[in-house]
Amino acid sequence: MPDTVIKVEQLSKVYRLGTIGTGSFKQDLQRWWNTAFLKKEDPFFQLQPGNTAAGNKDFFLALHDVSFEVNQGEAIGIIGRNGSGKSTLLKIISRIVRPTQGRVLGKGKVSSLLEVGTGFNLELTGRENIYISGYILGMSKAEVRSKFDEIVAFSGVEKFIDTPVKRYSSGMYVRLAFAVAAHLEPDILIVDEVLAVGDADFQKKCLGKMREVSQASGRTILFVSHNMQAIKNLCDKALWLNQGKMQVFGGVSEVVNKYLSSTQQSKFKQQWEVPEEAPGNDKIRVKSIELIPQLENPEAALDIRTPLQVKFQFWNLQDDVLISASILLFNLGGECIFDLPSPATRGQKGLLEGECTIPGNFLNDGAYYISLHFLKDTSVPLFDFEECLTFELEDYRGDIQWYGKWWGAVRPKFPFQLKQTNTCLQDQLQVDLI
Amino acid sequence: MIKAVNSWDWEIGNKTSFWSHTLKELWAFRHLLAGLVRRHFLLNYQQTVLGPLWILFQPTLTLATYLLVFHKLVGISTGSVPPVLFYLAGIILWNFFNDSFTGTSSTFKEHAHVFSKVYFPRIIMPVSVISTQLLRFAIQFIMLLCAMVFYSFTRGFSFPVNSWLLTIPFIVLNVGAFSLGLGLIFSVLTAKYRDMTNLANLGVRLLMFLTPVIYPLATIPENVRWLVQLNPLTPMFELFRLAMLGEGTIALPSILYSLGFTFLLLTGAWLLFNKQGDKLIDIV
Repeated sequence: MPDTVIKVEQLSKVYRLGTIGTGSFKQDLQRWWNTAFLKKEDPFFQLQPGNTAAGNKDFFLALHDVSFEVNQGEAIGIIGRNGSGKSTLLKIISRIVRPTQGRVLGKGKVSSLLEVGTGFNLELTGRENIYISGYILGMSKAEVRSKFDEIVAFSGVEKFIDTPVKRYSSGMYVRLAFAVAAHLEPDILIVDEVLAVGDADFQKKCLGKMREVSQASGRTILFVSHNMQAIKNLCDKALWLNQGKMQVFGGVSEVVNKYLSSTQQSKFKQQWEVPEEAPGNDKIRVKSIELIPQLENPEAALDIRTPLQVKFQFWNLQDDVLISASILLFNLGGECIFDLPSPATRGQKGLLEGECTIPGNFLNDGAYYISLHFLKDTSVPLFDFEECLTFELEDYRGDIQWYGKWWGAVRPKFPFQLKQTNTCLQDQLQVDLI
Repeated sequence: MIKAVNSWDWEIGNKTSFWSHTLKELWAFRHLLAGLVRRHFLLNYQQTVLGPLWILFQPTLTLATYLLVFHKLVGISTGSVPPVLFYLAGIILWNFFNDSFTGTSSTFKEHAHVFSKVYFPRIIMPVSVISTQLLRFAIQFIMLLCAMVFYSFTRGFSFPVNSWLLTIPFIVLNVGAFSLGLGLIFSVLTAKYRDMTNLANLGVRLLMFLTPVIYPLATIPENVRWLVQLNPLTPMFELFRLAMLGEGTIALPSILYSLGFTFLLLTGAWLLFNKQGDKLIDIV
């Protein structure tokens, strides 16, 4: 039976909206009068759905009835859109803000890293900042001193350690700040989206360090990120928050997949029953267009490995024309990734059908849209159906331990071989060097 | 805030308590306190030419001004005490109160950013301000002693050696506790109602005129003296001068009044600060 180290029970948090200043003194007095003397219920603490707090425009329900448990040594990823209450949850567990209702029980020392460089002062030198920031995060003097060299080496700012940090480049500043936090040794580490900063190389280093913390030393980690790859790689379980409520809590890949498929703002299918209503003109009317991802598990999100089948039907309103269709794929930036024409076909009045499959392991991750163009005699435009399908491909890295943005418009898997041809080079190299 | 609930080490609920921290928890953060004091000193004198000499310069310049205005122009009597020593003693004790109060009263406003990102006992911040001011006071106190030695050699000022000297640590502690108490209350108030910042700044400036900094209590006419004596700082300033310079008007009831007032103020303020501290993060 694993040891439960954090127990969150029916946690809710209400924020008051609007300017707090003028009128707040009056409100405070009213509240105090109502609760202390008239024994009325405080409107601030009524959290039932549809009741004052939820329905009132003056209040905002940041977290609503969240309960879960975390076992010793687990890494939990917390995901959700912006404003879904992730940071509020971390702040409550870090003891920075108080919940409005519910409670959190826990065991062991908690350190939270909600921001890179908390307590850093621009005027002070790197050395002074390492100490003060270490103390603020809960380290003792002896701890900071014993890790000082390691911290400096990790950050790579040895040369500038006695320079005020205001003269650091922003990259150096972030590296130093994270280095301090990375050397904390709490029982429970709470990390908010801090990896969004720094260059790719440094991000990799940070994630490596976090994996080391969670796997090698058995610490418990709560980790908020929008980087699903990082979450999948680092965490065992995930918690999906949606508008302050707990949507799913469970195994990391299950939760991440559900989350991703819910966020994909996609247009997978369009169809029309009669030509009169369908998009088109007096030559072409589109009956349907559909994107069919070739997924084994229909619940799963589309990722870069998924082959995508595009199927379409259209009414041809002219007799005896040499007709062809082109599938154009654009990325979100509007750049055309490819323009793929079909073979030209002699068509009669009536319904025609087209089909094409974009293979998996070809496109890079990102959002895309497809346009369909119809041509006569392979050169005369008949009708352009713009942005008829949109979809989003999630990233998949497999064993690759690199989480930066992958470059390139496409990410094909061409055959690529690397092999050793000769092992005797050693001697030649040495000769050359002498 | 930390309570052992069965096998749990800590619990975070919606109730805030008056006694937020155990002594053990505060002790664990002693390095932070020391680090913050160090930071206050470093920050104050970063990129200044005179550096820490400002600790001595600032009261000296104030002294020169007071000598010119209150001694030469207005002509307030300082009794048998040389004006330089009289004003200097008042200035350093007042500065200690003034800087401690203004430093602690902006705790939440100034550190809202740090408070909203990381947890540590909030009380560490204002206590670090008081500690810093206490160190500054100690340095200025030595300066006062030097001035006294100088005067006893050159101007025949008789160095008072009496049992009142023993009260000096208690005077300083009492003034420190009073400023901390007042500062904590105002730190909560200024976080909630920004108007209080102005009130605090103005109030502390006016309070100086109700404190025997630039005049001895004895020169105040009897019929308005109660107004000055209502101020709990007054007995402390008089006692300080009596101990250091051998002249001051004190009475046991007023000293007890001052001590009692400070004790109640600090206790109340401490409780208020702990009770309100966690809630304030939502609104600062």
